[in-house]
Amino acid sequence: MAKIGVFICHCGENIASKVDCTKLAAAIGEHPGVAVSVEYKYFCSEPGQESVKKAIRDNNLTGVIIAACSPRMHEATFRKVCAEAGLNPYLCEIANIREQCSWVHTDKEMATEKAMDITRSMIEKVKRNNKLQPIEVPVTRRALVIGGGIAGIQAALDIANAGQEVVLVEREPSLGGHMSQLSETFPTLDCSQCIMTPRMVEAAQHPKIRLLTYAEVEHVDGFIGNFKVKIRMKSRYVDINTCTGCGDCMTKCPVKKISSEFDCGLGKRTAIYTPFAQSVPNIPVIDKASCIYFKNGKCKTCMKSCQINAINFDLQDEFIDLDVGAIVVATGFQVQNTAGYGEYGYGKYPDVITGLQFERLATASGPTSGKILRPSDGKEPETVVFIQCAGSRDPSKGVHYCSKICCMYTAKHAMLYAHKVHHGKTHIFYMDIRAGGKGYDEFTRRAIEEDDASYVRGRVSKVWLENGKLMVRGVDTLLGRPVTIAADMVVLATAMVPQPNAKEFAKTIGIAYDEYGYYNEAHLKLRPVESSTAGVFLAGACQSPKDIPDSVAQASASASKVLALFSKEKLEREPVVATTNEATCAGCWGCVLACPYNAIEQKDILDRSGRIIKRVASVNPGLCQGCGTCVTFCRSNSIDLAGFTDKQIFAEVMAL
Amino acid sequence: MITQEKYRSKAKKLLAEGSVKMVIGYSPGSTPDRRRPVFIRSFDEADQLVLDSNCIANLSGYLVSEGLLSDEKHVAIFLRPDGIRSINILAAESQLNVDQIIIFGFDTNGNEVRALTGEHAGEFSEFIGSIKEHPPEKSRDPLLYQIEQMNPQERFAFWKDEFSRCIKCYACRQACPMCYCRRCIVDSNQPQWINTSSHTLGNFEWNVVRAFHLAGRCVGCGNCDRACPVNIPLRLINSRMAEEVLDSFDHFAGLNPAQEPVLASFKKDDSETFIL
Repeated sequence: MAKIGVFICHCGENIASKVDCTKLAAAIGEHPGVAVSVEYKYFCSEPGQESVKKAIRDNNLTGVIIAACSPRMHEATFRKVCAEAGLNPYLCEIANIREQCSWVHTDKEMATEKAMDITRSMIEKVKRNNKLQPIEVPVTRRALVIGGGIAGIQAALDIANAGQEVVLVEREPSLGGHMSQLSETFPTLDCSQCIMTPRMVEAAQHPKIRLLTYAEVEHVDGFIGNFKVKIRMKSRYVDINTCTGCGDCMTKCPVKKISSEFDCGLGKRTAIYTPFAQSVPNIPVIDKASCIYFKNGKCKTCMKSCQINAINFDLQDEFIDLDVGAIVVATGFQVQNTAGYGEYGYGKYPDVITGLQFERLATASGPTSGKILRPSDGKEPETVVFIQCAGSRDPSKGVHYCSKICCMYTAKHAMLYAHKVHHGKTHIFYMDIRAGGKGYDEFTRRAIEEDDASYVRGRVSKVWLENGKLMVRGVDTLLGRPVTIAADMVVLATAMVPQPNAKEFAKTIGIAYDEYGYYNEAHLKLRPVESSTAGVFLAGACQSPKDIPDSVAQASASASKVLALFSKEKLEREPVVATTNEATCAGCWGCVLACPYNAIEQKDILDRSGRIIKRVASVNPGLCQGCGTCVTFCRSNSIDLAGFTDKQIFAEVMAL
Repeated sequence: MITQEKYRSKAKKLLAEGSVKMVIGYSPGSTPDRRRPVFIRSFDEADQLVLDSNCIANLSGYLVSEGLLSDEKHVAIFLRPDGIRSINILAAESQLNVDQIIIFGFDTNGNEVRALTGEHAGEFSEFIGSIKEHPPEKSRDPLLYQIEQMNPQERFAFWKDEFSRCIKCYACRQACPMCYCRRCIVDSNQPQWINTSSHTLGNFEWNVVRAFHLAGRCVGCGNCDRACPVNIPLRLINSRMAEEVLDSFDHFAGLNPAQEPVLASFKKDDSETFIL
């Protein structure tokens, strides 16, 4: 005999103003099987929860209905309450009379009627609920960190320093990411390389970190605690175990004029190369597209120069299969292709450069050894114009958002330029100065007040070349007049955009992304480092534009989530999973195809002598996410979903 | 007659040499223009086989009889193009292995019967593809145009009237090669989703659910229509559904044995007109 307790919550005025809760409680009290039907102002409050517990104990309730807000809000809360009172948590159901009733109706009488229907239908469901036990799945205590920029390195170090194993995968030949390309960093102006390289070395030498550079994640399978990952180790044509990094091969390589990606095209590199001198690991790779040997079968100069025979042109890509329990995605960003800004002359005039190129000019490790020189003639520019939002906040060019770092790095560029070229003059065109952050506003004030950066509030319409000068035509909106500045160099604060393959990669890992390709967090405010897929976490600019402090903070946050996951040997998962009826399954495998999680396998039913009688579908409860797609697909109704069984749903519908 | 003799002697040969254990075909029926299925197990019975323009039933459903193919021996079967398509769907849904099936393919045009080239399901893919591209003229039932002209109320009234004769004998299900489930949803009574009584609700529930279950699978062989003892024009529902699937997903059921079931598979360019 069912003894159901129904607890009707006013939610302050939220429900009570549109639903007559007293009338509702009285009507529900008459429903067959209902032992308790009470109302209260806030059942989610401490006294509210206690009253539910007391009612369960006093009446030996066999089921509980909380008629209140959406189950998304408080289902977990009240299931816990039931468990504490000794009732199986899956015998508790929420009747949503707020979002689906009081919030969307104006007529009190009709809303009350509807609330009765909703509550009755859930009572009929809960009468048929079964006691469910959480599913335990083992956890592989090894994390995969994808991306070896500052976010990835930080996450890897934090996890490794807590004693857990980490595999750090970097696509490029060296760790470092964008941060290793930067000169000084705002707002303290400490040298990027000086703070970055020790971290890179620490990550590479950490006994708990397995570093895989020049490697890409090919395939991800499995689920939280139990991912199976396939990694492609791209062939360097250099044996990483024997190479000492002496650099002889690079000096001897006859192909010397390849535009360096690391220097954003401002420097040159050889065909066998390391991206930069402080590369970690300091082992070169051969750029197959530029190498003479790969083009026409002759050369091998590097191989001859190598004294320890570390170069082998026959090496092939290798694949590594890994079991990991958690994944941190820290794949970073790219700088927007400025070719879309024809009016600014990027690509047409060599002295119109991007902010990242300016970083390479300003850094001591860069192609000019830290001297600010014009790419066209190598002369020191006397006047530099910076154009902010050259891409960001421009819907016409497809980037609606603010790239967040440009205001700060442009101020920094103006400062660095002022420090290096004392007589130089800077003009900065801006839309707004966005300098929220610790010490950030003070920093931009310093650029204006101490380093004489002249800020012009307005947009630039055109840049053209006249008598050897770059003429910048813009508008000063504060003075309400057009301005034209003759500059020697123009620096564009280009937008941060997701990696070009960000969307495809999201599909490989199975996480969600937004319209631009930035990866989506599970909840913008309350779960900002979790992805929509359990066990996959986000760090750094792959989620949204971020500066270094934000990236590092998020990386550490991700690491703490990974460590929390690894703190237990087994994971408890919701028992809301599908099961098949082997007697009636016709073996059409429609469910196998339809399952988005690859959770359904074929199972052979054998007779005593081991012959196959038939093949049926079988659900792996570890992989099943309880979405119900298979249930809807099955023509013979041979699949049922625990917690949402056919009987339950049928009773729920028929009660309406 | 030439085709009949050709397949008779082929049946004799295959049975005599033991390369098939059975030939499923047609034999004379209770009236001169009716044919009934026959299951020939030895070569001396092969003369019972008849092939003429009255051989219209789709015999493929017999292949999935419990245990028939589990000994992995071969079976030969007379099939029209729609029957070959059924075999392909059954193979795609893992109900049979096409390698076990020797097809005696034929098609009719008026009183003429001609043999189709090929022996195994895969060899007919091109031919079936040509049916998709160039459907035979006048294959669409004129009644379909009439029903399409009706407004929803009229259409509901039309089907209510047609279905009112339904006696829930499930002959349509028994005759359909696609209805191979061990337990049909209508036989599941815990809970009883589909009302089994012969009133408006039960009649609609049964016939609409069957139509949904055939979406993307029906080849329009007409077995259900001919089996119906109260002459409900079931072919109209299913052929209209097949047109919808072809329009929406460019899916022509039974094109080849490897074709993925349309409702269980997902393509990025699938139209999403039904998602608001």
